[in-house]
Amino acid sequence: MAGHDHSELTKGGAHPHHVLPQGMIFLIAGGLFAGMAATIGAAFMIPEPLHSNTFFMQSLALAIAIFKACLVVYFYMGVKFGTRLVKIFAYGGFIWFFTLFIMMADYVSRPLEPVPGWETVPSSALPRNTVEDPE
Amino acid sequence: MSGHAHAQGDGPEVYFQYEDIDQQQESYVVGMWAFLMTEVMFFGALFLIYTLYRWKFHDTFFFAHEQLNWKMGGLNTAVLLFSSVMVAFAVHFAQKGKKTAQLICLGMTLMCAFGFLVIKTFEYGAKGDHKLYPNYTFEYGAHDKDHKVESWWDDNLPAFMHIEKKEQHGDPKNAKLFYSIYFTMTGLHGLHVVIGIIAITSLMVLIMIKSPLITDYVPTELVGLYWHFVDLVWIFLYPLFYLIPR
Repeated sequence: MAGHDHSELTKGGAHPHHVLPQGMIFLIAGGLFAGMAATIGAAFMIPEPLHSNTFFMQSLALAIAIFKACLVVYFYMGVKFGTRLVKIFAYGGFIWFFTLFIMMADYVSRPLEPVPGWETVPSSALPRNTVEDPE
Repeated sequence: MSGHAHAQGDGPEVYFQYEDIDQQQESYVVGMWAFLMTEVMFFGALFLIYTLYRWKFHDTFFFAHEQLNWKMGGLNTAVLLFSSVMVAFAVHFAQKGKKTAQLICLGMTLMCAFGFLVIKTFEYGAKGDHKLYPNYTFEYGAHDKDHKVESWWDDNLPAFMHIEKKEQHGDPKNAKLFYSIYFTMTGLHGLHVVIGIIAITSLMVLIMIKSPLITDYVPTELVGLYWHFVDLVWIFLYPLFYLIPR
């Protein structure tokens, strides 16, 4: 594994496991705090008209958050240096997380239905008892 | 159980169901990851709920989020990031067999965890003062309904790309929804911080009393994995609740 090129061994050395070097821990910490500064900076310092573009601003904030999350998962949580079994569990969970959002397709596509549904109550994401029946 | 296990040198025991210590330690880590994935699914559903209502009631969520203190949220982000760094060092020192340094790092993590909760308590207290708890005391009057969001993009993007605006902004009913989601997600995250405090404290006590349960660095790594996950959730909660763009 490429990550083991610069690895150190656990004490005793009988069972080698990757030890994240101190320099790497500091480096990742720098990346995390820089990401935090970038998140706050982007929220307040990006000029118009980009600043009022909700999609751009939210995408930027999430991109920075995903970058930070990758640093934590990949290095601090050791997925980069983990066995294949660990990687399957780690990646599987996060892939499931993004798959979950396919559910949004239902809500996004509701206005595109070619014919009105048989329910008299208009489609809404609110709980049913908060939507007034027009009839 | 020890009757079925054998030790390898001065390292941890290898139990009968494992071929060697590597397989045993891998199973511990995989088990922790399996648990963390259930946590991802748990929070994933909440993030989906947030996404749905944020999409439906963008304006209200924007106005409602202005009541949150982004500076306190930012301070909490810094505290959690620092704690994550400390946990990474704790694992590093545990792997190196440096117990004193490991305990110092775990202690720093513990202080950060308490710091996070103290800041959160101040935040929640302020929400109570402003009557923003989503219960019968809820009063959302800070932003009047006539205030509209105008932006360059409203005039320059095709209509189908507009997020639903100008109709539901400042609606108290939807603002209550925002605070319901806010308190649910940050509250559950806070609960995880408390569980993390219990786990870290237990680990520190076991290390200090030289418990036979702690024979190598793996328990520290497992607690570290949990704490990094707590940090991970906050990494997303902060921009999604405290820094909602127009």
